[in-house]
Amino acid sequence: MKNNQRKFKDGILQGLIYASTSVTIGILIIIIGFVLYKGLPGVNYNFLTRMWDSQTTIVDIDRNSVTGGSAEENYVESLGITIALDDGYIIIKDIKKDSPVENALNIKKVPYELKEKDVIAKADSTTFRDITAEEAVEVLNEGTGAIRLKVTRPGGGIVPMVISTVYIILLTLMIAAPIGICAAIYLNEYAKPGKVLNVIRFAIQNLAGIPSIIYGLFGMLVFVQNFKMQYSILAGGLTLSIMLLPTIISTTEETLKEVPNVYRQGSMGLGATKLQTISKIILPSALPGILVAIILSIGRIVGESAALIWTAGTVAQIPTALVGSEAGAATLTTKMYWLIKESADLESATSIAVVLLALVILLNLLSKIITKRFLRNRTGN
Amino acid sequence: MNNAGKEKMVTENAAIGNQAVGNQKDYKDLVFRTIFLLCALLSVLSVIAIITFVFTKGLKPFFGENAYSFSDFITGLKWDPGKEVYGIFYMIVGSIIATLGAIMLGVPIGLMTAVFIAEIAPKKMVAIIRPAIELLAGIPSVIYGAFGLGVIVQLIKKVSPTGQGESLLAVICVLTIMILPTIITLSESSLRAVPKSYREASYGLGASKIQTIFKSVVPAARSGILSATVLGIGRALGETMAVMMIAGNNIGGLPGSLWDKIRPLTSNISMEMSYASGRHQDMLFATGVVLFLFILVINLLLIKITSKVGAQGTKN
Repeated sequence: MKNNQRKFKDGILQGLIYASTSVTIGILIIIIGFVLYKGLPGVNYNFLTRMWDSQTTIVDIDRNSVTGGSAEENYVESLGITIALDDGYIIIKDIKKDSPVENALNIKKVPYELKEKDVIAKADSTTFRDITAEEAVEVLNEGTGAIRLKVTRPGGGIVPMVISTVYIILLTLMIAAPIGICAAIYLNEYAKPGKVLNVIRFAIQNLAGIPSIIYGLFGMLVFVQNFKMQYSILAGGLTLSIMLLPTIISTTEETLKEVPNVYRQGSMGLGATKLQTISKIILPSALPGILVAIILSIGRIVGESAALIWTAGTVAQIPTALVGSEAGAATLTTKMYWLIKESADLESATSIAVVLLALVILLNLLSKIITKRFLRNRTGN
Repeated sequence: MNNAGKEKMVTENAAIGNQAVGNQKDYKDLVFRTIFLLCALLSVLSVIAIITFVFTKGLKPFFGENAYSFSDFITGLKWDPGKEVYGIFYMIVGSIIATLGAIMLGVPIGLMTAVFIAEIAPKKMVAIIRPAIELLAGIPSVIYGAFGLGVIVQLIKKVSPTGQGESLLAVICVLTIMILPTIITLSESSLRAVPKSYREASYGLGASKIQTIFKSVVPAARSGILSATVLGIGRALGETMAVMMIAGNNIGGLPGSLWDKIRPLTSNISMEMSYASGRHQDMLFATGVVLFLFILVINLLLIKITSKVGAQGTKN
């Protein structure tokens, strides 16, 4: 009787264990499935290679006869391009080798190479609207010498966000990695138990628990407003640097702890100073672990939104400065947030999510591979 | 002898050996030592700076001329910046209920999953499940928000008597999912840290595997599980982006049921920060201060628990 009761209880608990695990794994599968189902149709070559906003430029081209494609339909010999009518617009379908459009200059005389799929909106004084491709060819071939074109390059791609994300990753790591590693060296190699150490540990533990939105508020107040950086990659990078310090410090410290004490004693016994021991013995053998710490931080940066929206802004542009209005930058994640909140565009947002998921998986794999190598080496010693 | 003592001896030995080399090396060592210390102190400075700046701005509206009554702020049930009404009590309640709900669902599911990984699953299965959990932990919160909006909110919309999907229930569901990886990984490592002898003793007394797990292993790992829970509370309370998209963010009123909209503290800040200015912006910082105080309490609790665990560890 009692035995049966026990079996029954065991069975229920076992069932709960299996059910819980299935729920956890099931959720992950549903999330990935949802993102792929909704987002994957929007991920294509254009999405990955184009700018976000469409861009209209006026260019001057020195015409120069190119005979390469004279057999093709709607070939403009003087420009070396084939054009086509696409949804009412005249687009560049194909560009021949040595075509003069490769040397096009914009109004500021800066090279602006035309690309396939660019829309020609105007040639000299003729606006290309309600026009057939044949008529357009005629207009483009008219006259000799320079021609002025108004060209629109279609947007809808994530290139600016990818570049902004990379910039912010680099900037953040350039600030946070050295500081975090040095701090970890102090904590593991120099610090003696006492008040100073306790205060530092307390601070790090607290820093790790602060939610990212508080970092966002702080960054906005201090870097964006007080230091007058405006929404910029530097303000974002500095905010994220503080946020990532605890991660980098504690992961690096763990690695330093794993370096056997024999290494230190051996090095010092040979007459090396402490600094030499650290730079020549300890850091090299802790390098893979530090690399994992950095990869983990990259993952955090890629996924961060709350701390970046009010420090780096949500403008989809390629930042050309560290501070100021040219430096505002939306990362993939902040743009995804912006799309959902401001334009309720869940489709485009999940397309970005597909890219983000791919990145996160890649980073996870990378850290795993490094850890595995590292561990194998260790046991080999 | 402890590590520090050993190292000190080694350093002294090295110092004797190096006397001939001269003071230049000592000098260089000192410079770098100072640099390392300064880097470590930077984290202390950061905490102080964050607290000072956020609190100064957040407490500004309650002092000086034309001050807003703090008790109106903390007990108010309506948030209407246009009419200069700033009450956050219903947000505090919403945040706490959502967090508790997520903990009540997430801790049992997470603990059971951790038990499966640590005690039951064969190695090959662990090799699949563990990376899956790590991936779950690495998914950006915006994606959880999109998932909540695209799936959970739509499902709730179909069954809710109010006909609206954005609700307390949706927030609880998404927060539960988001704290799962934290609960699982921390519980798993504390389960694994339980000495083998506990299990052997339990088996020796005739207990079954399940009995051993729940009567002997889980109780022995309870402080680790507790710290996982507290960490989960912190995560749930501080989560912003995912929650904001699915909470509904009503402008007033306490939540009466799971179907009601809520407005957590975090989403109050993130909803309006982009266009707020003057007193309105200060009030958003004040919301941040309240959130911060909650988080500080949780942090202190966590530090206390983990230091206790550490002390136990050395005793064993």
